[in-house]
Amino acid sequence: MTSAVEDMRIAPEEMREAARRLLADKVDRRAPWEGRVGSAAALEADVGELGWYQLTVPEELGGLGQRFDVLAPIYEELGRSLAPLWLSGTLAAVDALARAGGDDADRVIAAVVDQALRIAPVVLPNGQGLGNARLPVVPGASEVTHLLIVDQAGAASLVDRKAPGVGVEAVETWDLGRSYGEVTLANVTDVVCRFDAAAILPVLRAHGELALAWDSIGAATRSLSETVEYMLGRQQFGRPIASFQALKHRAADHKVAIELARSLVNHASGVFAVRGEGWAVLATQARILACEAFAAMTEDSIQLFGGVGFTWEYNPHLFLKRALMNQIIGGSADDLRDRVAEDVCRRALASGH
Amino acid sequence: MSENAAVTSLRAEVREWLAQNLPDDWRERQKGDDIPAFLAMQREWFGKLVQAGYATPHWPAGWPGGGRSLAEQIALFEELARGGAPRMSLFFVSLYHAAMTLVECGTDAQRARHLPAILNGEIWCQGFSEPGAGSDLAGLRTRAERKGDRYIVSGQKIWSTLGHFADQCLLLVRTDSSGAKQAGITFLLMDMKSRGVDVRPIKQITGDEEFAEIFLDEVEIPVENLVGKENEGWKVAQVTLSSERGLTLVELTERMALSLWRLVRTATGGTGDVAALDPAVARSIVDVSARIEALRAMLATLMTNRIAGREAVGDASILKLAYSRLSRDFTALGLRLQGFAAMRDTQYVLGAGYETGNWMFDFLNSYQYNIAGGSNEIQRNIVSERILGMPREKLG
Repeated sequence: MTSAVEDMRIAPEEMREAARRLLADKVDRRAPWEGRVGSAAALEADVGELGWYQLTVPEELGGLGQRFDVLAPIYEELGRSLAPLWLSGTLAAVDALARAGGDDADRVIAAVVDQALRIAPVVLPNGQGLGNARLPVVPGASEVTHLLIVDQAGAASLVDRKAPGVGVEAVETWDLGRSYGEVTLANVTDVVCRFDAAAILPVLRAHGELALAWDSIGAATRSLSETVEYMLGRQQFGRPIASFQALKHRAADHKVAIELARSLVNHASGVFAVRGEGWAVLATQARILACEAFAAMTEDSIQLFGGVGFTWEYNPHLFLKRALMNQIIGGSADDLRDRVAEDVCRRALASGH
Repeated sequence: MSENAAVTSLRAEVREWLAQNLPDDWRERQKGDDIPAFLAMQREWFGKLVQAGYATPHWPAGWPGGGRSLAEQIALFEELARGGAPRMSLFFVSLYHAAMTLVECGTDAQRARHLPAILNGEIWCQGFSEPGAGSDLAGLRTRAERKGDRYIVSGQKIWSTLGHFADQCLLLVRTDSSGAKQAGITFLLMDMKSRGVDVRPIKQITGDEEFAEIFLDEVEIPVENLVGKENEGWKVAQVTLSSERGLTLVELTERMALSLWRLVRTATGGTGDVAALDPAVARSIVDVSARIEALRAMLATLMTNRIAGREAVGDASILKLAYSRLSRDFTALGLRLQGFAAMRDTQYVLGAGYETGNWMFDFLNSYQYNIAGGSNEIQRNIVSERILGMPREKLG
């Protein structure tokens, strides 16, 4: 039986190849920075046609029944290409709802497949609810059909983006490469369906964190290679600046930090895919490490590019702005640390000799 | 990743064996201030490991305990670390560097003489580095001249691990200075009791004496102690240097992961009251724990690739840089959290890896991993040149 299931597994590297081809062809990463129409809409249509939204949907609901490990390379390639797509909102919701189960969850997942229902998860801070809430920056909110709103009182509600009392306004941020919306809620009562927040929030979060982690790894790796490429071409004192040891060692340190983070993200993804022990904490730690490596790489990239690193025309700032946004989506690095600290410490103590 | 049955059953077997054989009081007996007690404890532990076949999993089949796969060797090191066993400090060079060099490059007579002796506790050290040849090892200048059936050797070696307790030495000498510097190096086996050998332990910043200098004044070494051919010792040295195949880092990483509890206990002032932790301290622990898990994952991937023969150039350098940086940060955090108490705690345990429980000792000791096995600066050159494709330095 196991072998039959294994037979239907798509090799993650196949997904990487497919994603890389599509993104190389379709993503015009400079477009939003030069006032041209971006590639988001066309890309969204392609991704829908390619069936990426169906990949992890259970087979009985019309999907391909794959695990998280096929999404990991897609998320990494999205970051590498600086793609303008928020695939992870809908896919994290599908993952979380599949976990929760039940008729409502099944209907929502089926609608993702059949009716192009697209979801942005919205986790409200303490004290806010459907009655009254305001979130200034929600990834992808202005491009979805529905919001999955989770409050701190244990309620999760799927609402139509156009329902009475729901306000979503596209906002401009420094990260022009991706879209964000400001979400306001005022006396919202028209709810499509409700879920137990405790049943969906951990998966929703972990999936979102791993998606951001992979995005960061992909983009950081690209940032490093473009930085090294620039340093190989830039001549000063009659030699490429890439030949100065002080600069080589900085590049090497970034490589180590990125690869160390990649190792954890990869491990955490494997554990999450089978919901192995400690998956939630590992996902958070993976995100912390990946976002930190990405931010450090891009901050230094501006400097390693010299004067042109400070210009709009060159690309280092595209990476920097994405990195700084990745670091704070859904909570700052310290928020994330606070969330898992007690668990990490307790488990360490329990393992003591 | 699923383990094969041999690995799983070996793990169970080692755990069971440790429960029966690990002396409860080994830490007491390996305090840094009593060298005879340290040596006695190491010999006792080594004897038990040899008897169980756990000292020689990497030796060829046919030797007691030998013929184990690399996966099994890794599992064995992990289980010994997890079980809180002492490290094999005194015998590591004998079992790995010396034995593997003889297995691959030695003569039948050399193997017959030394391999059984190693199992009986013959202690080896490595005479490679010199005061003027560290990162630039091939620049070594200890001279050997052949006279009849002997080499006459004069020069100075340094950083020989536990060289002051060694019976034998793996020695690199220069026999030809006319061509490329790698081309004139010869590999010899030297009896440490030979006339003209003077060994002095080096006192380290920890107060411990783990390394030694070896002064050689017209030492006579019989020609039958030549390993490989004259002037072709550089190739033999590469075999020696790759003999432990990453198992040291497997062991040290596992020991660091297991001692995270010490850090948490230190952070809580010994109470274990996690809820009362200062949030800033708790955040630092989360980061260290994340990096430890990352390092373990990286190491597992590297070893899997090594077993499958598809390790990429520079992977080992990345791993070493990650490990040495983390070992410093990990122990620095413990030191900071313990405050004055750490500065007063001058007792330590030898051969424990990261489990000495003494933050100042461990912090100071972490510096050795920035140098040993190729300095971090050399590793950064390898990463930037061989992985990132940045231009090579012009070397002399």
